[in-house]
Amino acid sequence: MLNPDQRPKVSLEDLLRLKRAERPAPEFWATFESEMRQKQLAALLEKRSWWQGLSQMLVRHAYLPIGATAVLAFTLVSVKYYVPAQPSAVESTTTAKPLAAVNRAAVPSPATVTTVAATQREAPAPAPAASTSSVSTGTADDAVAVPAASEPAVQVASATMDSPSSRYIANNLDSLERTDPELVQSVLGNRLSAPARVQSAALLTDELASVPTGPSRRSRLLAHYTDHPITREPTAPEIVRERLARRLGDTDISDRISRIGLKGDQVSLGVTLRL
Amino acid sequence: MNLTRVFTKPMVTSPERQLEADEDYLVVKRVQAGEVAAFDQLITKYRERVFGVVYNLTANREDSSDLTQDTFIKAFQSINRFQGNCSFFTWLYRIAVNTTLSHLRKNRLRSFFSLEKIQEDGASAQVLEQLTDRKGADRDTYLRELQEKLNEALQKLSIAHRTVITLFEIDGLSHAEIAEIMGCSEGTVRSRLHYAKQFLQGELSRYLHS
Repeated sequence: MLNPDQRPKVSLEDLLRLKRAERPAPEFWATFESEMRQKQLAALLEKRSWWQGLSQMLVRHAYLPIGATAVLAFTLVSVKYYVPAQPSAVESTTTAKPLAAVNRAAVPSPATVTTVAATQREAPAPAPAASTSSVSTGTADDAVAVPAASEPAVQVASATMDSPSSRYIANNLDSLERTDPELVQSVLGNRLSAPARVQSAALLTDELASVPTGPSRRSRLLAHYTDHPITREPTAPEIVRERLARRLGDTDISDRISRIGLKGDQVSLGVTLRL
Repeated sequence: MNLTRVFTKPMVTSPERQLEADEDYLVVKRVQAGEVAAFDQLITKYRERVFGVVYNLTANREDSSDLTQDTFIKAFQSINRFQGNCSFFTWLYRIAVNTTLSHLRKNRLRSFFSLEKIQEDGASAQVLEQLTDRKGADRDTYLRELQEKLNEALQKLSIAHRTVITLFEIDGLSHAEIAEIMGCSEGTVRSRLHYAKQFLQGELSRYLHS
């Protein structure tokens, strides 16, 4: 082997140019072409994975579903937070007649239908005023067309209030109220019987209905003070006036005068009083 | 240095390259229209250049053959995505370089030479004439040794530096084209090129002018 130091030298660019001369023989390309054809056919017949197709579809049509996704999301949000106005079911543990009056006051609609869902076939019904029932109100169309919407609530209510024990307790309590109302009043405080509660509720409803719905606090205050008109010279309570007169009549009142003033025809006294 | 040139498209630097790019684009349009056989024209036209790039990066002829075929298969499968924003040549080179770099990263520990014979014609014969005045077996032995030293030195470079010097010094691409293919700036290309040349100067100093 020759000593490299003794040979003529070239530049790096010339040396790298030798790499261009490293080429395969012509027969290599014949083999290359046949292999290339096989791979090309295999690539044509190769079943592509589903995620490759999905990624290509997303890349190719990414701009299209953006708007559709936004519209869909907006629709879903709108549907989720949209609450249509529906007549609410009212439950109460009272008789149907007074409660119907309350419901008429709350929902003054001529087409209101009162549906008594509670069945009283198990109850002995000695006191119909105390029977437990569940009442729901709604329009006639609602009651006919959407029975499934109102039935579950009624059934739940009747199931909770129509138990035999509750009916038994209520009947006993009502009979006791009729026979000895003072006892009931003393034991249970200001507990009112069912008709009385409904009556007071109805009165309260009428009273509330008469209050204007504008600035409510201001209206309530004005309504409160109309029964007690404000005078220019307020009168003190009776007991205060008596005490004041007594104190002024005392002998030691002169000791408490701290200041005397004269102004025209008026005399002013500065007195320290202890009421 | 104007860095905005890196992002200017199309990345064709000379009228000859522009003409070649226009011709290629017409062929690509035919392939995209469904004329699959037209792709053979592109294979025949670019297979040696693509093979040269891959071979100079891998220094292994078998791997280079497979990777060149893979490059054309990938180009064929993705031909519908080619929009003509750059020349087909640049686009094909980018596929070849990326395929080769991926292969080299996967087989970092498995590297051995399988070299082609140096074809003595034109410029290479002149260089070889300068390097040795011997004939016969001594000359072949010397050329073999030189080829191995050269490939060893190239393989000691990092993949990025090897790619830059291969594309610039061996394939004759411009800085802008290399930047487009490698997805970096022209300044990065110049910097890598400078480092790679310095490294090779040191490795091959026995064969080079001082």
